[in-house]
Amino acid sequence: MLVHLYRVRLRSHAVQELLAGSGIAIGVALVLGVLVANTSLTSSAGALIDQVVGTARLQLTARSSDGFPQSLVKTAKRLPGVRTAAPVLRQSVAVVGPHGSDAVQILGVTPGVVGLGGLGTNQRQLASLRFGSGLMLPASVAAATGARAGDVVSVLARGAMHRVRVSAILGGSTVGALDTSPVAIALMPLAQRLTGRKGRVTEVLFEPLKGTDELLARELRALAAGRLDVVTADNELRLLEHAAKPNDQSTSLFAAISVMVGFLLAVNAMLLTVPERRRFVADLRMQGYDWRQILALLGFQAFVLGVVASVAGILLGDLLSHVFFHRIPAYLTTAFPIGSQEVLGTGMILLALACGVLATMLASLSPAFDLRPSRPTDAVFHDRSGNSETLSRRTATLLSLAGVGSVALITVMVLGAATLTIVGGVALALGMLCVIPYLFVAVSRALRWAGERVRSSALIVVVSELRAITTRSVALAGIAALAVYGSVAIGGARADLLHGLNVNFSEYLRTADVWVTTGGNDLTTNSFSDEGASAAIARVPGVQSVRSYQGGFLDYGSRRLWIIARPAGDRPLIPASQLLQGSLPHATRLLRGHGWAAISEDFADEHHLHVGSSFLLPTPSGAARFGVAATVTNLGWSPGAVILSASDYRRYWQTEDPSALEVTLQPGVSPPAARLAMLDALGHRPGLGIQTYAQRSAQYAADARQGLQALSEIATLLLVAAALAVASALSASIWQRRARLASLKIQGYGTGQLWRALLLESVIVLGVGCVVGALAGVYGHALAARWLRIATGFPAPFSLDLDRVALTLALLAAIALTVISVAGLAAARAPARTSLQE
Amino acid sequence: MSTLELREVSKRYATSVETVTAVDRVSLSVSSGEFVALYGPSGSGKTTLLMLAAGLTAPDHGSVLFDGQNVGALSERDSARYRRQDVGFVFQSFHLMPHTSALDNATIKLTGSGFTLREARGQALPWLARVGLAARVEHTPEQLSMGERQRVAIARALVSDPRLLLADEPTGNLDSLRSQEILGLMRDVCHERDIPGVLVTHDLEATRFVDRVYTLRDGHLIDGMDSELAATSP
Repeated sequence: MLVHLYRVRLRSHAVQELLAGSGIAIGVALVLGVLVANTSLTSSAGALIDQVVGTARLQLTARSSDGFPQSLVKTAKRLPGVRTAAPVLRQSVAVVGPHGSDAVQILGVTPGVVGLGGLGTNQRQLASLRFGSGLMLPASVAAATGARAGDVVSVLARGAMHRVRVSAILGGSTVGALDTSPVAIALMPLAQRLTGRKGRVTEVLFEPLKGTDELLARELRALAAGRLDVVTADNELRLLEHAAKPNDQSTSLFAAISVMVGFLLAVNAMLLTVPERRRFVADLRMQGYDWRQILALLGFQAFVLGVVASVAGILLGDLLSHVFFHRIPAYLTTAFPIGSQEVLGTGMILLALACGVLATMLASLSPAFDLRPSRPTDAVFHDRSGNSETLSRRTATLLSLAGVGSVALITVMVLGAATLTIVGGVALALGMLCVIPYLFVAVSRALRWAGERVRSSALIVVVSELRAITTRSVALAGIAALAVYGSVAIGGARADLLHGLNVNFSEYLRTADVWVTTGGNDLTTNSFSDEGASAAIARVPGVQSVRSYQGGFLDYGSRRLWIIARPAGDRPLIPASQLLQGSLPHATRLLRGHGWAAISEDFADEHHLHVGSSFLLPTPSGAARFGVAATVTNLGWSPGAVILSASDYRRYWQTEDPSALEVTLQPGVSPPAARLAMLDALGHRPGLGIQTYAQRSAQYAADARQGLQALSEIATLLLVAAALAVASALSASIWQRRARLASLKIQGYGTGQLWRALLLESVIVLGVGCVVGALAGVYGHALAARWLRIATGFPAPFSLDLDRVALTLALLAAIALTVISVAGLAAARAPARTSLQE
Repeated sequence: MSTLELREVSKRYATSVETVTAVDRVSLSVSSGEFVALYGPSGSGKTTLLMLAAGLTAPDHGSVLFDGQNVGALSERDSARYRRQDVGFVFQSFHLMPHTSALDNATIKLTGSGFTLREARGQALPWLARVGLAARVEHTPEQLSMGERQRVAIARALVSDPRLLLADEPTGNLDSLRSQEILGLMRDVCHERDIPGVLVTHDLEATRFVDRVYTLRDGHLIDGMDSELAATSP
């Protein structure tokens, strides 16, 4: 019976069912797309790390890219509790192929890695590793560089260039997640030669014997003697999770907003079918069906529609995540080998499916209200307005009080603990939705007041339509409000962050007119051998001074800190705009001496540090004590930064290798011209890149924009999807009212009058949503800016950009009203006879 | 004195398959104060005739005159003005604005003519009283019975002081008792206001309330009740 009746329904209302299904599918797609984008970053890195470490559970790791002597591996292998041990050399390099270059981490391995099951190796890879004499590239790197097996590619490492043959291209079937990872694999001797780290490795992976993890860790710590770290094999993932936290949290907020929008979208799509479903229920009752049969029928139809539409939505969402959302922030790839693998988990699919089905079931419940004994034939004799899902004014008032109360509560909550901002952002969105019904009451009253005094036929028609505060109108305004809220809040926070980062990097780079680095999208963390480069540059006419800038990453607990070691001649040593605590002149004087550092506030708070206190930094030569000269923002690197003097760096990191050469030009010398002269002077060092201050600033700004691109793409897509959803739902709602509109024509209303009335009504529904969304969005923006500043330490001072808010509203309104104006005109032109019976 | 006059009016509808003659050379005259019924089965052309009278469609042949004005030749704008100012129209399914008071529903035609809501209400109140809804002017359609809803629709039709009353199956959704009330009311209004009224119905019982009956069958108008049809009517 259930299947038969649904087939009957599909035959008679195929278009309506298709429209409802499309709405649900779009909602589910939005939810899934954002969920995938939100989880793929760390999940793909997790898959990669699992792939590299295999069965290893512990690792001995160097505190800088200089690594440690490979001879230590032999000693380590003899330690009690070691089942298998395999050394690895990891260095950042660039692979240049026939069609382009790709920044990757070169992984130098020994055949011993097979014993750990690392690199997803099997017997076939074993053969490659033993007998391969070249570089093995994952398919994604091969595609980016255009390299094929047998080709000779260039490897730029530590300022030098080497030519090497590609021995194999590794696909997903052989190396799993590695095939989408930015890595290049070589046997240890080749990797050491390419990176200029002869006889050195950066980590050793260990698989302890069963039950000896603690013992082995103790032994390794003794071996490390405070100069190396002993950590779990998957420590990298924890470091990445910390680094990606702000990114994850901001996309989480978006995911939550998208879930709400998607849910409302699906509910709305179903609401369009409600009037006709109510009549269907009434007909069935007349035919003698009891309430159980009808409920089963409604439930079955909603379930089938929900499942089919949600599956379509899941496929669409997967496509969306591929096309729009899957961009890896460049700033993270400088420190972690994050792959482009998309992770579509079962949990995500089930969540998206549940959202779609639940929304469909909920929205299709309303015809069941007609099963109450007092309303046996309401649907048959009810006015055919389709506006049967009304909210009472009492409900609207209670909801608005709850909404205002929740916003007040959120404010108190977030002021107390900035870390609750993300939860507060979601709660703010819900509170905002609660206020919408009451606003309809207020707007309706205001229009009525105006209608009593102004001669406007459109106004009176609109007042009549709006007086019925329908769940559909509220849902439509809610979708618009959520989209505007999300776009304004996240867009605003993004703009603040971008502005803050640009100011920060501009100050950070202003210490030199020209920068000589290993190139690439890095934070000046890759060192190189000077080998006379600074002397050659110093001889270039117009060069006033050349200074060695040093730096890199240092793992400390769950943080991968950005170490900035500036030469004493740099001005300023600390970017003034990023100073949070301490005196700039005093802190600068201290940094020019020894044993002082400026540290990120977040890091300082975690270790209860303040200006004047001291802390131990785990350097490659052992723990070194530093005094806190000042606290600063995280300088755009979420795990935090430490600024110290280059002389301290040389002492504790035991290296003279610069990460950059900072060149100051004589007054009046053109930086671009000087750069060309330096390129000539360094002709034999193709691995070094030379950029003017302007070029390097532009690169940093581009990287910052790229890192935040996913946010802006999601915001725009959310807005466009919401605009189209509101437009289509409003258009469908208008279309359903054609008979009543036609009756007004018989009363003497013209097409133009009706069209204006429909547009006015749409403007009001959109307007209520947009105004509420914009206000909540600005408030959410302020909360987010505070969260970025306090909880994450990013340089993101709040600034209200009304033009951007206006642009957001204009985009939504333009898309929605364009669609509605066409549909409205078609409905207004409905022939008057539509309202007649024959 | 107003008169509705149809002279040799024909109307055809072309479909992809065939051309149907809905009204075929119909001539009819309804004088002031006269309430007539166009009786006929479904598909006989009743509603087409009503649409012709309301200026909603133009005849293919012949002319529709109201007070000497050729209604079929009016522009869309003039046609809308004609319906707004001269015609009161009552529908079977009322077409009231939901969740809007009876009073405001009754004003909808006046506000379309440029009245403010306040002015329109002043004019609508006496009409609602006239149809027996003085005590229920603030009730919304959902709070009114079917008969009361139709009374609101009649008040809405009359509030602009029309010179022609047209009704399309106005009792189709009402029970027998309510039908009698509504039809009696419409007849009385036509007599009181001295305006012509046309009732389209397929309900034989409804014809008892009119001054004259015409039968429409396959587009042809027959003066009086078609006895064959009457015999088969339920």
